Amino acid sequence: MASVTADSPVKPGAFWGTRLLSIVLALAFCFGIGAMEGSIPPFAFRILVLAGLYVTLSVSLNLINGITGQFSIGHAAFYQVGAYVTGFLTINYFDGQPLTAIPWLVIMMIAGAAGAGIVGLMVGLPSLRLRGDYLAIVTLGFGEIISIVTRNQKALGGSYGMQIEPKIQAPWLVWLLAIICIAVCRNLIKTAHGLPFLAVREDEVASSAMGVNTTKTKVTAFVIGSAFAGAAGALYGHFESFITPDMFKMEVSFIILTMVVIGGTGSITGSTLAALFLFGLPEWLRTLKGADGNALQIPAPQVIAALFGVVVFVACARWVRDRYHEKGMKLAGAYGSAVGIAVVASLLFRPLAALIPSMAETSWEINSLRMVIFAVTLVVVMLLRPEGVLGHHEFSWAWLRSLFNKKNKEVQA
Amino acid sequence: MDLFSPHLLAESGINFSTLPSQLVNGLLLGSIYALIALGYTMVYGVLRLINFAHGEVFMLGAYTSLFVAWKQGFGQGVSPDQMPQGSWGLLIGMMIISMLVCAIIGVIIEFVAYRPMRNQSRIAALITAIGISLLLQYGGQLFLPAEPPPSISEKVLPDSIQGSYTMNLKKAPPQLVADLDAAKTKLQEIKDRLVERTTAMGISEFGLPDDDPDRVAKLETQDLVNRLNPQVEEQSIAIIVPKGQLVMFGTVVMLMGILWWLVMFTKTGRAMRAAAHDFESASLMGINVNRVVVITFIIGSALAGAGAMMNAVFIRTPLTPFYGFMPGVKAFVAAVLGGIGNIPGAVLGGLVMGIAESLIVWVGYSEYKDAIAFVILIVVLMFRPGGLLGSSKVEKV
Repeated sequence: MASVTADSPVKPGAFWGTRLLSIVLALAFCFGIGAMEGSIPPFAFRILVLAGLYVTLSVSLNLINGITGQFSIGHAAFYQVGAYVTGFLTINYFDGQPLTAIPWLVIMMIAGAAGAGIVGLMVGLPSLRLRGDYLAIVTLGFGEIISIVTRNQKALGGSYGMQIEPKIQAPWLVWLLAIICIAVCRNLIKTAHGLPFLAVREDEVASSAMGVNTTKTKVTAFVIGSAFAGAAGALYGHFESFITPDMFKMEVSFIILTMVVIGGTGSITGSTLAALFLFGLPEWLRTLKGADGNALQIPAPQVIAALFGVVVFVACARWVRDRYHEKGMKLAGAYGSAVGIAVVASLLFRPLAALIPSMAETSWEINSLRMVIFAVTLVVVMLLRPEGVLGHHEFSWAWLRSLFNKKNKEVQA
Repeated sequence: MDLFSPHLLAESGINFSTLPSQLVNGLLLGSIYALIALGYTMVYGVLRLINFAHGEVFMLGAYTSLFVAWKQGFGQGVSPDQMPQGSWGLLIGMMIISMLVCAIIGVIIEFVAYRPMRNQSRIAALITAIGISLLLQYGGQLFLPAEPPPSISEKVLPDSIQGSYTMNLKKAPPQLVADLDAAKTKLQEIKDRLVERTTAMGISEFGLPDDDPDRVAKLETQDLVNRLNPQVEEQSIAIIVPKGQLVMFGTVVMLMGILWWLVMFTKTGRAMRAAAHDFESASLMGINVNRVVVITFIIGSALAGAGAMMNAVFIRTPLTPFYGFMPGVKAFVAAVLGGIGNIPGAVLGGLVMGIAESLIVWVGYSEYKDAIAFVILIVVLMFRPGGLLGSSKVEKV
């Protein structure tokens, strides 16, 4: 995968052609989603819509974490601010104003973005003096403060939550927001406006020496990222029509962080795909049924054996990579053999794990393993490929075209 | 409590007579934070890494002492009468086992997750630490008993340190106390008489007519007692501390003393200080930095284990797999507050955190006691990023 480079000139006509094609495809996709309502089961539809929200969240966090190189781990707070601000506005001001539901929802989306953007500014300001790990803790703390304050505000429903009336659902808008978010981030890093962001990521001191206003850049990234999360929160609140502080727990922040990190810090394509995959995976696991028709139960020894297999895999993969890669061994082969060894080790370990007292007859519902799977994936990706699965690679039309061209060439040859 | 409430101060019930007691409580709580903060600050000093999983090591230490207590017959289903006598030996045993288990877990985490990340960026190492922390929390949810949250029975304490110690700083006016005592005696007399009469008549107290003289007198005296009680409480100042928590404080001071000796007066301690000062140069000077890192993790995790055991036994918060998160974060804030990498700073920061938390509770905002840590953190980082005892360094190119 390669992005458009200087030595592959694109004709102006082709540039506008692909641009127009992208926009048309995006709009068609959004309205296609909207048209699917009713033709697929409601729970599947709901998952489809929520996946769009997670794409927005993950791409907007990627703007802060991946593209600007700051480290925020409290993204759910902005999501929460968006949902609560707009929920409060809708409850109090929807009746007695002339707008119908959808235009009102668009306005609410903007209001949510503005509210979360202001909060983002407040979090971004301390980041002037902090970097790296300190900033991470501050954002975590900020998320926690927002959560505690909402929990104790009677006006916001306290810990019981808030009923948003009327319920406004606009699935196409959810996906439109996701696509706008992707487009904004993509255009930002492809144009001169985005270069300071990348410069700050690569080296803050050096970029400030070269005249980049690092403070402004970092705060801008924070504000844009949190504004998108706020807009997503507004849509989420109106879609579910009932919000509680528990829906925006720290767990959500960590899930979004996992999406960004696994997809590839700095890769918009990566965080989009990771959001879809990591959101879809638990939902798919939830649909799995055991032989008795209830949710699938995984015996404890199997889980322990699987964890052991992961450890073996990581150890093998690192060992092989460090020693044999230079000698001309293919990396794919190395990883393949590591997987093989890990599977064998895991199978051999299984009867041993069953010997642990009280473990042999324990079993867990597969859904309760969700966060464990996320955590393990996070650690494994970090140990094997710290830049994330896609690294800094991006999807682009030029890459797609080069793929076809290569195929054509092969056919000709 | 509602932030927009107009009568906030009036409602909050600020009562100056409870202030000394709260301050002492805060100090005791802060000593535990200080113990955890030492682990953060030592690891940060050597590796420049926030050991996010430190709070989970703390949680596992608490569960270890819980299991030891269960094994010794203080199990969940056992009724308090059938439990064996608590003893000092049991407490010391719990602490040592908990420290050992935590040290082992700390070393495993270092070996499995942090050592491979040492050449990577600090953010990558931090993400790994977060991943390990999540894994231990949610993995713990599968393996550890949490529903309902268990806590260690009070019976594990030997008799000599059960109950609490009261220190009177200021007594209420004798007249008031005498009045209250008289009212209480009178109330008891009336109650006794009522019981005597009603049992003789074979009816309950409410079977008597409303204007029965004894019933009227009972209500009046009860009223008087209710009126006098807060007055006496307000005008007397006493510090009430559970005896166990005093033992806890003594142990914390002792552990800190040992740590101080270890860091300042032994060869290993000198190696640790050298590695904290400059990791690369220390390794060039013939210091085995890997050994130093392992020892740092052993000491830090063992201190967390000791803190966890004492928190579980003397403060007795119920255990859940998420038990370590908040104390961990607060201890981290304490480490930052004192100046991260600075050992006396961590102790000072921990004590300040504990006192700040109990002051918040005293003012009446107990809902916000978890938020105060982050407020302190943000304020410190904005105005004095190096912490109270640390020095802020400018990054040089």
